[in-house]
Amino acid sequence: MSLATRISGFLGALAASATLIVSATNAQAEALTFTDIAGREVTLQEMPDKIILGEGRMMYGITPLIEGNPFEKIVGWNNDLILYDPDGFRQFESVYPEDTARLINFGNPYAGDFSIEAVLESEADLVLLESGSLFKAEETGLMEKLGAAGVQVAFVDFRRNATENVVPSLLMLGRIFGEEKRAAEFIDFYISQMRKVTNIIDTIPAEERPLVVVENAAGWQVDFCCWSFGPYNYGRFVELAGGTNYASSLANAYSVTLSLEGIIEANPAHVVATGANWSEARPEVTSVLLGYDAETEPNEARIAALASRAGFADLEAVKAGNYHVIFHQFYNSPYHFVAIQQLAKWFHPDDFEDLDPWATFVELHERFLPFDAKGTFWMSAQAAD
Amino acid sequence: MSDLTRGPNAGALVQAYRLRSGRRFLLVLGAVACLAALVIFDIITGPANLSFSRALQVILDPSIATPKEDVIIWKLRLPVALMAVLVGAMLGVAGAEMQTILNNPLADPFTLGLSSAASFGAALAIVLGWSVVPGVGGLFVTMNAFVFALGTSCALFLFTRMRGVSPEAMILVGIAMLFTFNALLAFLQYGASEMQLAQLIFWQLGSLSRATWEKVAICAGVLGVILPWFLHQSWALTALRMGEDKAAALGVNVGLLRLTVLGGVSLLAAVAVSFVGAIAFVGLVGPHIARMIVGEDQRGFLPLSALCGALILSGTSIASKAITPGIVYPIGMITSLIGIPFFILLILGQRKRHWQ
Repeated sequence: MSLATRISGFLGALAASATLIVSATNAQAEALTFTDIAGREVTLQEMPDKIILGEGRMMYGITPLIEGNPFEKIVGWNNDLILYDPDGFRQFESVYPEDTARLINFGNPYAGDFSIEAVLESEADLVLLESGSLFKAEETGLMEKLGAAGVQVAFVDFRRNATENVVPSLLMLGRIFGEEKRAAEFIDFYISQMRKVTNIIDTIPAEERPLVVVENAAGWQVDFCCWSFGPYNYGRFVELAGGTNYASSLANAYSVTLSLEGIIEANPAHVVATGANWSEARPEVTSVLLGYDAETEPNEARIAALASRAGFADLEAVKAGNYHVIFHQFYNSPYHFVAIQQLAKWFHPDDFEDLDPWATFVELHERFLPFDAKGTFWMSAQAAD
Repeated sequence: MSDLTRGPNAGALVQAYRLRSGRRFLLVLGAVACLAALVIFDIITGPANLSFSRALQVILDPSIATPKEDVIIWKLRLPVALMAVLVGAMLGVAGAEMQTILNNPLADPFTLGLSSAASFGAALAIVLGWSVVPGVGGLFVTMNAFVFALGTSCALFLFTRMRGVSPEAMILVGIAMLFTFNALLAFLQYGASEMQLAQLIFWQLGSLSRATWEKVAICAGVLGVILPWFLHQSWALTALRMGEDKAAALGVNVGLLRLTVLGGVSLLAAVAVSFVGAIAFVGLVGPHIARMIVGEDQRGFLPLSALCGALILSGTSIASKAITPGIVYPIGMITSLIGIPFFILLILGQRKRHWQ
């Protein structure tokens, strides 16, 4: 390093600290510094009021933290909520029709097609990204480009290490939206609901934890089985609910592709598939269309068809009525405590006789969400007679 | 050369010919035996522990099978094992005849853009939900892939008709197709959601796990019609490898032969790729292995290309199950690893040029 660069570097540092001092004195008391889920320190000069969501489904985590209109500070999102949970989107739409119409669709930052120009044009001050897109955001230089234009990026995670990162993510969102008190209330609710399961599961020895196969998005690919989760996401939910996740024993990966023969040989006690109303975006899916607008009769036929696929029909779990389907989108939302409660009830019916996951779901809506609980979010196939 | 000046010794020539034919026959027979052994091994291995004798009993007499054995042997392992053989053979034949009619050692369904076209068709279905042929239900990914692969062949066809059949032009147009579809594919990948991307990548890397008896029957039907027809044409195709002029002098309608063979090759490749995904290696290297073993005579080269393709894919099917029992690995990333050591050995062992 030459003397000249050293001096210029030193001068640069001086200038930078001078700017910092000036901005520090000018800044309002509102200036906000926090560490996001990726471990990055994020500093905002003032409380953000134009926020972009890298995933529409972040509304699951944001809505319970905000007393009034949860869209107030949000200028745009990705349309994944509309595509993959249309039932959930319609709930938001029914309460806040003007806001859902106003939101700009910025596309999918996960795939890297996020339009930086559109972000700048919206005059956004903060972009919330899902921590799974960290690598992509670094690779495409998204963060530097936005940073250079004064738009900050912060990462949340309700998906990959969902149960580990949900509380820090909620705390962070509470600070970003200036709703710390309500965030604390929701976190209390979350923890108390999680403990209802884990306190009991902790006393159940390993040999009494049934083997469970998770079939991620069953019926999304009509001619193929099975995507599953390793010890992440629903794989982790199963473990917290007192089950032994089959795919975790094969690979320590987020996503694992299982062979049907391996499942037959493993002979699980339960098969848990995930489903959501994907038929509006992809009419060919044979999934169970769970959600706020789920209809019982067509779904009964759909779960029966999934459970009677070749190879599944003869599984002891299926014959015993232990082929279950649960709402897929719990996988990307802090409401996964509802899923974990229902999983625990399936795996250990005697231990959780008094637990009512639907009551938990109703309480979640009554206390924290602007619309009511309705529809179907889980069901089990009929046992063979 | 000195032999020629002395004049041919008819007896010795006949004997040499018989020797060559006999050797060729033995080589093909040997490959068939190897393939049979691999297929049996494919059927008796898997995450579930079934003994060889039990598996054989279940195959010979399906009525004795327990429901579990019935599903594992008849619904899961047999279709996959047969699909591996058929698709491998189809790609081997397709690659062999593409190399022959285009007179280019690098020609195969992959390098000519057919696989990319199929991938793009599949991506249209997976990412945008577009179905080229309406009313095919859940098969629309396969159908899109098929239509695009075949469409690309037709485009190659038309182009070469328009410009007069020049192999170089066909290769160049094929390469242009390859890059065009790869670019379009990248566009779709860029906008795909996490789940669509997973599905798309898995499709592209190829998988035998979607094999069903219907697909096996379709593959067997297509191969059963086209392979005998190619064998019937084998003298003309062998003549073509000696050079266009010589073939024409022997009475071969070179232009027509090229077009009809391209048609057959396209059908083989389009069906194979649309059922199992874009598998790059088999169609290119299978024929080269066959050529190094048996030479250019199509009567040996063609069946051996089919067998080499089938052997590579059958070996892949076994390996993909064995890495971690219970997990499905895409076959596209294994085929090369299976075939390459053998390929390299052959290249190193070959002192003379095998492509003239």
